[in-house]
Amino acid sequence: MGLLSILRRLKQSPDHEVRLLLLGLDNAGKTTLLKQLAAEDISHITPTQGFNIKSVQASGFKLNVWDIGGQRKIRPYWRSYFDNTDVLIYVIDSSDRKRFDETSLELADLLEEEKLAGVPLLIFANKQDLMTASPASVLAESLNLHTIRDRMWQVQACSALTAEGVQDGMTWVCRNIKFRKK
Amino acid sequence: MGCFYSKKSKRKSGEKEEHTSTGETSNAVPLGNNTDEAPKQYSWDKREKVDLSHYTLKELKDVTVGRLPGTLNGEQFVIQDCENCNIFVLDHSATITIDDCVNCRIVLGPVKGSVFFRDCKDIKCVVACQQFRTRDCQKMDVFLCCATQPIIESSTGMKFGCFQYFYPELAFHFKDAGLSIFNNNWSNIHDFTPVSGENNWSLLPEASSVLDFVPTPDPESDFKSVRISADPSRSIVPLTKGGRRKESEESCLFVFFAGEYTTANARKLIDEAVAKGFVLIQTKEVLMRPEDVKRVFQNSEDDLVEWITKGPVVALELNGDGVVEACRNIANEVFSATKVFVSDNKNTSTRDVDNFFNFADMQMGF
Repeated sequence: MGLLSILRRLKQSPDHEVRLLLLGLDNAGKTTLLKQLAAEDISHITPTQGFNIKSVQASGFKLNVWDIGGQRKIRPYWRSYFDNTDVLIYVIDSSDRKRFDETSLELADLLEEEKLAGVPLLIFANKQDLMTASPASVLAESLNLHTIRDRMWQVQACSALTAEGVQDGMTWVCRNIKFRKK
Repeated sequence: MGCFYSKKSKRKSGEKEEHTSTGETSNAVPLGNNTDEAPKQYSWDKREKVDLSHYTLKELKDVTVGRLPGTLNGEQFVIQDCENCNIFVLDHSATITIDDCVNCRIVLGPVKGSVFFRDCKDIKCVVACQQFRTRDCQKMDVFLCCATQPIIESSTGMKFGCFQYFYPELAFHFKDAGLSIFNNNWSNIHDFTPVSGENNWSLLPEASSVLDFVPTPDPESDFKSVRISADPSRSIVPLTKGGRRKESEESCLFVFFAGEYTTANARKLIDEAVAKGFVLIQTKEVLMRPEDVKRVFQNSEDDLVEWITKGPVVALELNGDGVVEACRNIANEVFSATKVFVSDNKNTSTRDVDNFFNFADMQMGF
């Protein structure tokens, strides 16, 4: 689902400007996901050094998608991007088992952030196209998501590379934007 | 791990009725707290079970191991906890992670996505990939072909040189991995954790020979059938000077337009120029749009516009005193029947080079 069709769906939303925030460890596939949403070439993506942003607007509605670099050193800067986030999209490399604990900790920290209180959470269990990818159900269990009480959440298996599963995730995003507890 | 691997059935919706799609007693794990959707099947749910150990090398010591051409076929590969090993992954793959390895010599065939080294030490390697990443690594010598800017984090003693390697299937593996031999950013590294007053990375001495770092496999090993060569003149990836200081002020831009023999022609030009004592600085293979032609080639013929629509161009920067004249002669003598652009004269050639490679960098950045 491209950015423009998400934008068109936003006409159901009471807000005229919607902000999606893409976070996750480095190498999770955030930028590939962003480029896929923007229907751009994904064969030549560079590790993100700062952030990337895609904006689309139509008929008075505006959609901004922010993709922030995930290296350990620059995660402290994530908080600069929290304000006015309508949906948090957390991307996980499902095939990088060695870093499941690390991504779990980062996600847990995010869920404690006041500025992200009540913000709906979509977790993309990305890289399902790879051999050692853990299924979404295994990830959901190890992330203890069932203990989340303060927001809407969803785990969506996907491959940002092939786009499979991405549209299903974005459909959930569109449906849940209005549930942001402001 | 390394055992047969099955996927749990999916289910949705926390508070509603529970379903399992097979007879197995799977724990029904909710995937969300606000979904009405019926469980969905994706292509990965229908995949055949595989033995993951085929895609993993782990906990090995003092051995020569790896994968022969045709055994990975673009799948993911994982290397972990190896010590004093010679590792030859001679096939193309989707992505490779290398964790907790010490004192290893590693060759990684073309990788479509990222190569990510974590917690490794004393590594000498030859790598071709789309993205190159390290974290918490020390003392690595890397002969690299990387399509994008390599990055390091919390790593020290990192040294880089230009990819130099050959085995018969390697050219095909580059194609299979979607990597161009002309797009190699091996010498400009981004450090996420620079330390004031120190350099975490540097370039290997120019005359470094790969075999001094990563010897060819033991003739008695499984790899004896692969005709590997580290002879710089046979390297599938052209050797470029990259960010090293140029010896002459005079550079020339030479561009081949898309056609059946573009790669072969580019190699021929490199051979001719190097034989005459000139140096290849950098190369790029990139698509151009009509609006780019005027900005990049400035006063050139308009007919270039139709040529750039046929496919990506291959551009080369050659350097040395007299290189522009030499390139123009080579174009006339060797490439008279081929569509090329060559810098007009040494007063404007630096501008040509800057215009083209700045354009290419912008095009290939985000």
